[in-house]
Amino acid sequence: MATVVSLDLDKDPRSIIGMRVFDAPRDLVFAAWTDPKHLAQWWGPNGFTTTTSAFDFRPGGVWRFVMHGPDGRDYQNRVTFEEIVRPERIVYSHGGGEDVEPVQFKQTVIFEDLGGKTRLIWRGDFPSAEERDRVIKDYGAAQGLVQTMTRLAEFVEAQA
Amino acid sequence: MDKLSLDAAFAALSDPTRRAILARLALGETSVTELAKPFAMSLPAVSKHLKVLERAGLIARGRAAQWRPCRIEPKALKDIDDWLGNYRRFFEESLDRLDDYLKKLQAQNPGEDKKGSDNGDGS
Repeated sequence: MATVVSLDLDKDPRSIIGMRVFDAPRDLVFAAWTDPKHLAQWWGPNGFTTTTSAFDFRPGGVWRFVMHGPDGRDYQNRVTFEEIVRPERIVYSHGGGEDVEPVQFKQTVIFEDLGGKTRLIWRGDFPSAEERDRVIKDYGAAQGLVQTMTRLAEFVEAQA
Repeated sequence: MDKLSLDAAFAALSDPTRRAILARLALGETSVTELAKPFAMSLPAVSKHLKVLERAGLIARGRAAQWRPCRIEPKALKDIDDWLGNYRRFFEESLDRLDDYLKKLQAQNPGEDKKGSDNGDGS
């Protein structure tokens, strides 16, 4: 089940949206996001491990963790939960503070019940995007990423 | 790329005219007059877009020649590309792992399917 990722530069240049279907019931997929024991099993790109030092899963609560990279580097991270609707939606902000990695974005994760399967939609608002209160309905419409990324890659290759 | 320049770069890229200008500049350096041609836009309006792009580090303008040629700054575009690539990679690979993990959980606890978790019934 491949992940579909798109970046809609024309409509909303500051967010990236991805979608994926899991062959598992929604409660279980949601649970995998809500417990550091679960998160430690899958969070992060290949080769990374995650150590959690604090986890407070409620609006305003903070998840403090270190991601250990395959290169031996440790990446300090902070996630602040902004909105939690079980088992439908989690909104969190990533980053903030001098003591963590200088990356900041707001992330919305939506869990859709497909009857035994679950569609997960994630949307990241890029740095300093204004507060948004938008429901994600248009995840399929975004076609911009591929084009834009191809264009960017072409620029880079042509100019490098 | 630090956060401020990334902000500026995304803001600069949010405008279709500016993206079109970048696309033109990808073909090679040129003058403001040349850049203005495809757009129904005054030179000062185009100059304004160029200033935004320049401030975001996406283009540079020559100082030597009278016509101040504009050219693209590949480094800034590369930084954006890298940033997006890392972000995408983070999710794609995390969700691959989540997929495997969910399969494992379901194989271990087939009864959990209905119940899901200890997080209540979602009401």
